[in-house]
Amino acid sequence: MEKILLKNIDKPEAYKLENYVANGGYKSIRKALEMEPDHIIQMVKDSNLRGRGGAGFPAGLKWSFIPKDPTLQKYLCCNADEGEPGTFKDRAIMDKDPHLLLEGMMITCYAIGASIGYVYIRGEFEYGASMLEAAIDEAYEKGFLGKDIFGSDFSLDLYVHRGAGAYICGEETALLESLEGGRGQPRKKPPFPALAGLYAKPTVINNVETLGCIPAILEKGPEWFKAIGPEKSPGTRICGVSGHVKKPGLYELPMGVPLRELIFDHCGGMRGNKPLKAVIPGGVSAPMLVEADIDTPMDFDSMAAKGTMLGSSAVIVMEEGTCMVKVAYITSRFFSHESCGKCTPCREGTSWQTRVLHRIEHGEGRPGDVELLESLCENIFGRTFCPLGDGAVMALRGALKHFKEEFVYHIQHKKCMVDS
Amino acid sequence: MVNIKINGKELKVEAGKLILDAARDEGHDIPTFCYQADLMGIGSCRMCLIEIEGQKKLQPSCITPVMDGMSILTDSPTVVSARSSMLEFLLTDHALDCPVCDKGGECELQDMVYKHGPHTGRHAEPKHRHHGKDYVLSPVIIKNSNRCVQCTKCVRVCSEIVGVGVLGSIGRGIHQEETSFFKTYLDCDHCGNCIEVCPVGCFMRLPYRYTSRSWDLKSADSICTYCATGCRVVIEERDGLLVRSRAQLGVGLNSETLCARGRFGYDIVNSDDRLTTPMVKKYGKLEPATWEEAFGAIRKGFRSSSPARTGGLISPRMTNEEIYLFSKLFKGPLQSNNVDSSMRWSPEAVEGFAAATSMTAGGVSIFDCMDSQSVFVVGTQLSDENPVVDYIVRRISNANGVQVAIASSRGMKLDSCASQTLRHAPATEGDLLGAAALLLADKDAVRFAGNADFNSIKATGIDTLAARSGVSRSEIEALVSSFGSSETVGIIAGTEFLRFPEGSASLALVVEALRGAGKKVTVIPVLDRCNQRGAWEMGAHPGLGTAYSREGVKGLGFAGMMNTASEGKLDSIYIVGENPVVEYGDGNFARDAIGKVGFVVVQDTFMTETAALADVILPGVTFAEKDGTYTNQEGRVQSINRLLPPPGDAKRDLEIISTIYNIFSGTDDVPVKKSAGIFAEIREKVSTYAKVDLSFNNEKNTFNDLDNKESLVGGSSASLSMPQVTGSAASSLASDGHAGFTLVTGNHLYHSGRLSLRSEILGGFIKGAIVEISEEDADRLGITSGEKVTVAGSRYKAELVLKTRKGSASGVAFIAENYNDVPVHKFFRRGESVASVKIARS
Amino acid sequence: MLTEKTLEKIKQIQKNYHSKKSAVMGALMAVQRDSGNNLTREDMDAVAKILDVNPVEIHAVAGFYTMYNWKKPVGRHHIQVCWNLSCSLLGAEHLISHMEKTLGITLGETTPDSMFTLTTAECLGSCGTAPMMQIGDDYYEDLTVEKVDKILADLRARS
Ligand SMILES: Cc1cc2nc3c(=O)[nH]c(=O)nc-3n(C[C@H](O)[C@H](O)[C@H](O)COP(=O)(O)O)c2cc1C
Ligand code: SF4
Ligand code: FES
Repeated sequence: MEKILLKNIDKPEAYKLENYVANGGYKSIRKALEMEPDHIIQMVKDSNLRGRGGAGFPAGLKWSFIPKDPTLQKYLCCNADEGEPGTFKDRAIMDKDPHLLLEGMMITCYAIGASIGYVYIRGEFEYGASMLEAAIDEAYEKGFLGKDIFGSDFSLDLYVHRGAGAYICGEETALLESLEGGRGQPRKKPPFPALAGLYAKPTVINNVETLGCIPAILEKGPEWFKAIGPEKSPGTRICGVSGHVKKPGLYELPMGVPLRELIFDHCGGMRGNKPLKAVIPGGVSAPMLVEADIDTPMDFDSMAAKGTMLGSSAVIVMEEGTCMVKVAYITSRFFSHESCGKCTPCREGTSWQTRVLHRIEHGEGRPGDVELLESLCENIFGRTFCPLGDGAVMALRGALKHFKEEFVYHIQHKKCMVDS
Repeated sequence: MVNIKINGKELKVEAGKLILDAARDEGHDIPTFCYQADLMGIGSCRMCLIEIEGQKKLQPSCITPVMDGMSILTDSPTVVSARSSMLEFLLTDHALDCPVCDKGGECELQDMVYKHGPHTGRHAEPKHRHHGKDYVLSPVIIKNSNRCVQCTKCVRVCSEIVGVGVLGSIGRGIHQEETSFFKTYLDCDHCGNCIEVCPVGCFMRLPYRYTSRSWDLKSADSICTYCATGCRVVIEERDGLLVRSRAQLGVGLNSETLCARGRFGYDIVNSDDRLTTPMVKKYGKLEPATWEEAFGAIRKGFRSSSPARTGGLISPRMTNEEIYLFSKLFKGPLQSNNVDSSMRWSPEAVEGFAAATSMTAGGVSIFDCMDSQSVFVVGTQLSDENPVVDYIVRRISNANGVQVAIASSRGMKLDSCASQTLRHAPATEGDLLGAAALLLADKDAVRFAGNADFNSIKATGIDTLAARSGVSRSEIEALVSSFGSSETVGIIAGTEFLRFPEGSASLALVVEALRGAGKKVTVIPVLDRCNQRGAWEMGAHPGLGTAYSREGVKGLGFAGMMNTASEGKLDSIYIVGENPVVEYGDGNFARDAIGKVGFVVVQDTFMTETAALADVILPGVTFAEKDGTYTNQEGRVQSINRLLPPPGDAKRDLEIISTIYNIFSGTDDVPVKKSAGIFAEIREKVSTYAKVDLSFNNEKNTFNDLDNKESLVGGSSASLSMPQVTGSAASSLASDGHAGFTLVTGNHLYHSGRLSLRSEILGGFIKGAIVEISEEDADRLGITSGEKVTVAGSRYKAELVLKTRKGSASGVAFIAENYNDVPVHKFFRRGESVASVKIARS
Repeated sequence: MLTEKTLEKIKQIQKNYHSKKSAVMGALMAVQRDSGNNLTREDMDAVAKILDVNPVEIHAVAGFYTMYNWKKPVGRHHIQVCWNLSCSLLGAEHLISHMEKTLGITLGETTPDSMFTLTTAECLGSCGTAPMMQIGDDYYEDLTVEKVDKILADLRARS
């Protein structure tokens, strides 16, 4: 299968501009600059490209919300916050093939009429950030960025903005808040970023992987793209697999590959050939699936039909013997640690949840704890300001749905059911 | 208008209205924590979640506007359960120390849980605690974050309304704590608005701490008696002591907000130094006396003086009723027009200012003024002198995108929300506005052909005027063009026009020119004494009677009385609530002059330097001990209500003045005890007050409408004249030998006048007298903020602490007129308010 | 006091934005890097002055993100062990207790010689190479107890 996103990853010094060009890069932006911006937006719409940041929102549609008024300053923000536990895909592009992202951003900026773009990269990715900055410097040197790029009358400046440790900044409005130098707490919507985003100006926010698909779509056309994987969520997807598999890592596969194929064919199966107990298909916010579900194709709609999400396609595989109370505790602890503090149910709810799970995990469970947890889920879900709180609930509900007896055992016996 | 349904009832409501407001208007109770009409909506507490039929998720009604066809449920089972679960969440980390919490009994969290549940608790885990003991954030704020519900209203009110932004949310998730930079002592305005907006016992008043349970307080509706903004307050007492002054959401033009003076200046009432017994001079010494003795002395003392040699000065802090009767006493039985209420301004300056700000046309609401497309603030240090007007301007201009321009010689907090700041030389408002008027009137020359003021500035010419003001012509042009592009212009003009009366004529011309150009111009005069406007309208002016009617014979203003007195030609004077010996421009002169008056009566609440010179001292009362009305700067008439009895033998001022009135009228005409009777007479006799609606509605105003226009005074047909002004203050400055800095004065943020100096709480905010200059000037002199400097003028020299002020014009120095230890007036020539000084490190 | 070098960095960062405030995060990080990986109250005050924002806003930003070290000082090498799910599945806990033992400190503490500070981190985006930790700017992946010992020894030798 032809790779779109990781095609250069293993090539030597792929991060260098000359090598990117030698590998066929920076052709699509030249092509784009010859086209009408609206035409590009239409192409991306036609390609059915859906956002790779988690929600799967159609990219072309998002771009088309940007007002056409040429006097308005517009921005593109690339979401490189990559914080969803289990996810490590965007990092690979930035570390190894930063020009792919830059080219994707250039085309997008041209299409939406933005003269400034930011890459919001999580602060821990110091290496990736420095690679990106070096790539940007190179691009300026070559006249690929700055005034009148590639001899067109389109000018563009790209900058890297480093985060400093906050998962919530992956949420697009929190990201904007952070870019403006504030605490990364989500903003109310409406107004949506497309109308009032960064500095209250029209702004598109797209994930790294989403933007990475753009040059190929420009080059080979929307039909080609749409033909990869299911028509409604086409293209390839970088699956990041971690946990108890033989060969964890990144796998770029067409959308719709079943989990089973990913785990057993590509990743070489379970570590030590133990039976598979559960798998989280799209980052810890996505409810877990069990062995019986793993023939589900990995695309947005099939996963949704199974009551979970494709999310960031970060696949965490767990073998038999994994304590699900502990898994639930770890994920809950994560969400309460990352809760931004703005809204009541997430701030207090995730923390309460974590306190209870911590107790159960440490052999201090009390009768009624499972019902309490279920009730907390109910009281948080759908009532938080942003989806972070929902994520915490979905993760816990996933574990409770499939492994309630483990929780009950833990409470009754003050110890773990699996490592006895 | 859109069609919606709330709980099944079909309604038409304004498009864009918040669901919360629409539902509350219909009488549905939706609890909220983070919502506050005057703050930007954040939708974070989730108390206000409601159900919209057809939508899966509950929606926050406080940030969700109605849309056509919406069917909203405010009490569905899901909504009800969401409410109680939000409260359950809020209680998980709440300290639950209600028995020792100051907020107990008036806590929104308590009330909500009582009403919406949950009535049993399930959280049985260790709580997160932000800190151990409560910590002190300022002389007036003590903080307990363990009770916080994270509504962040404190942070928002501090930055969005007050504009100081010293509070922030530190930490994330359950660690988030609203506090100051490293929890250090706040360097702020000490307004306590954070305390007021706090729904729980998190921000608390330090002076009130542990003084009372809320249910043991007795309270009365009142008005803040410091500046003339007219903020409504509730004053509260426990065991005869005033322990709290607070504002109420949705009540009064100030709603929940107050400045430090309004919130913390109440303690003057409790002072141990209050006058509690009449005193009469016997054998050259003031001795405690009975009221009969005091009145007897007055009967004798005043009888022997001739009308022309009798004078009266009443403080613009007294009520309309008191001032009305006081003026009536003089202009009636005592047959003297020597009445004044403005010790610091000349009667001519007052008339000119009243004319320029169209005060005769009746009351004008600040909200109407802020409804303009552009607003011009001039001649006032608004942020310090009328802080709540500063809040209103900031809030509304930020929310509605009003263009604000500020002309001043000193920087002020409000500068940060202005699109243009003009920094002119002190005392040159007239030149600046003159230039603006010329630019504006360019196309309308005919209209002004016969106008003497216009012709005189025209003769001077734009460039000369601009040069004198120190503002470039292009800046003035920018100002004029911002007026030009607005159909509605608001002007907020203040006391500098009274200090430097030559400015009023130009202000009047600008207003006329703008009106001539078809613009709607709304002028708000801003004043620094709570009932200054009322005092003028009650006729406490030597040339004007009630409602600005002209007196046949012009009496003496206060300066005139002092001149007469110094020549030994004043037989008697009756001074109510003023202390000219320290507050009059030339205190020594006043002391001397008053010393020469045959018979001096002083009525006050405290023993003052002036009272010490009196033959009779009458102990009056403070606002907390009497009833009456005040007319604020906008012309809004509002009542105060008594909460406490007069201390000791003191009497209510109206009773004192009535008794004296009856003595000299030889009748029992005036009801001695009731202010309502006098107000009825005011209504009858003062045309502009005839229709004023006094109903003091303290019900929480659910419509977020703070404007109560029924209480505005009406217009009169009186016509005022602009005094002819000779020689501007600026030119007199030049003859002073302009060297170093130009010293100006005005009110301090914590004081309007000197009564507030008696407040221990307010006193705690100030370390001592300071002189203020711009940051750049301090750099130039190599002096840093906080150093001691000597300010030397030709008349006086003083040592003070230097503080820098951002954005002040170069060469301008400021010393507030209300420091006890540094009487700034001593720098000035009598009757002037500007002087040249040199500043050097001590 | 900020060094010339830091001030210059902050100036550069400011050029990236239309608004001064946007430079807050970058400026704080620049200051922290140049002052031994820690942020003091004075540093924040200085940044507030340069960027013309209220000091409390700077504090609020520093307090929101985990990478600013202002609550208590960290040692020369700040070890952050990821203990999120993927790393935990593959033994992060074990590594943590091992390091606690070898360094003689518990989580959150700094060695008496100020060489190492040991803390945990939530997912650092390196799950395919779990378990992992970050020390300073560097990622150490596919960890084992042996690898950890060697890394710590190398760091010690280097300083
Ligand atoms: C709590 C939270 C965390 C998120 N984290 C990320 C992230 O790390 N990276 C990302 O690209 N999108 C993240 N998202 C999704 C973004 O909000 C947004 O939908 C996405 O960046 C849009 O880009 P796309 O349309 O290209 O997917 C997150 C969303 C939420 C609610
Ligand atoms: S759900 Fe609420 S508290 Fe949680 S991250 Fe979103 S806004 Fe913040
Ligand atoms: S009042 Fe609506 S969320 Fe707080």
